[in-house]
Amino acid sequence: MRDILRKEIRLSASPLAFAFIPFGLMFLIPGYPILCSAFFVTLGLFQSFQYAREANDVTFSALLPIAKSDVVKGRYLFVCFIEACAFAVMGAASVIRMTVLADAPVYRANALMNANLFALGAALVIFGLFNLIFVGGFFRTARKIGRPFIAYIVIAFLTLSAAEAMHHIRGLENLNAFGTEHFGLQLIMLCAGLAVFSLLTLISCWKACYDFERVDL
Amino acid sequence: MSIAEVRHLGKKYPSFELQDVSFDIKAGRITGFIGRNGAGKTTTIKSMLNLVHPDSGEIRYFGEPLSANEKQIKKRIGYSTGTVSWFPGKKIRDIVDTVHRFYDTWDSEAYRKYLDYFELDENKTPSQLSEGMKVKFNLLLALSHKAEMLILDEPTSGLDPFSRNELLDVFTALKDEGTAVFFSTHIISDIEKCADDIVYISKGRIAAALPREEFIGRFSLAGESLEETMLRMERGDHHA
Repeated sequence: MRDILRKEIRLSASPLAFAFIPFGLMFLIPGYPILCSAFFVTLGLFQSFQYAREANDVTFSALLPIAKSDVVKGRYLFVCFIEACAFAVMGAASVIRMTVLADAPVYRANALMNANLFALGAALVIFGLFNLIFVGGFFRTARKIGRPFIAYIVIAFLTLSAAEAMHHIRGLENLNAFGTEHFGLQLIMLCAGLAVFSLLTLISCWKACYDFERVDL
Repeated sequence: MSIAEVRHLGKKYPSFELQDVSFDIKAGRITGFIGRNGAGKTTTIKSMLNLVHPDSGEIRYFGEPLSANEKQIKKRIGYSTGTVSWFPGKKIRDIVDTVHRFYDTWDSEAYRKYLDYFELDENKTPSQLSEGMKVKFNLLLALSHKAEMLILDEPTSGLDPFSRNELLDVFTALKDEGTAVFFSTHIISDIEKCADDIVYISKGRIAAALPREEFIGRFSLAGESLEETMLRMERGDHHA
């Protein structure tokens, strides 16, 4: 799999996939729907899929001496690699906001979601949805990217809006914790996000391997 | 000795059907796969590479079924097409540096040899190559991992007569080194120039799969060229 990931990074990936990783720093922007940064990262990945398609990457990979399912797994590995890099950037930005900037007035007056562990968990859910809806949808045909991306946009923005709205609901205020307040709850929400991401990605990868095996290239 | 066996291949599309396609490819020989546009050449070749899933039939290489030994078999065969350009914006050097890691049989000496032979510049990108040079680049990748068999889809299509001639000479040289070459074409003179065996496909069915001399003996009329024979056969007259 190391060689496949290397191929994805060196040949198949669009530079935009890497260029969008720093968008994780949008977690530092006050008064901004910070989960949009997760969407921008997936936008870079979408561009990468388009780039790879124009380079005939899928057929090229299917001709390499690897199992057809490894072509799918390689792409998932690359997607998760970019998402992990972006998540690390978001994580670093969140730690800064939760520690040294925990009491900054500009963040305290923030009506939107705070950068905390819940926000990181929600970002993972957005990534999981991208893997499930877009990446999985792409491997149904190994060609068409428009429809799965539109479906992903709709679901991602509904999820993003729901996540932004949650802390305004009575009883859920603690989701918008500052600093290390309600740390136990915050940690549970991060773990839940990680579990959702893992589950969606694994289901999507398994289904994509099955679908791609039946695609005529 | 058969290096590849295609048996009873079938694939149905809404507007086209590949029916009961069977033939053998023999070691150390050049097999020309001929048929007009839309006859089923590319579908057959894609089925042979597991890019298309046939509805029926079996493909075996080196005595082993492709379906159960895809990884091992793909290490021993090479594929090239004259019409597709892989990673058009990447340097040849970078493509090769990535691809060679997938083959434990990769031969750097052979790579250098064919790089010089084909006069390819590693610092160029596929988009900077002519159609003929693209074919040569694909061949370079196939030959550098010591493919025992080359499957080439329309490699001479779009080439000028000089490049075509040059490429056919390369096929002959490869055959002399023991490599089996299977190439599809709709240009009959390519077959006349270098093929030892002919597999002729028409409307999704194999019309003939024979050594060239036998093909001529069976189907050609006296004084008729191979081209005239095939044009007549394509009109439905198969009798010599």
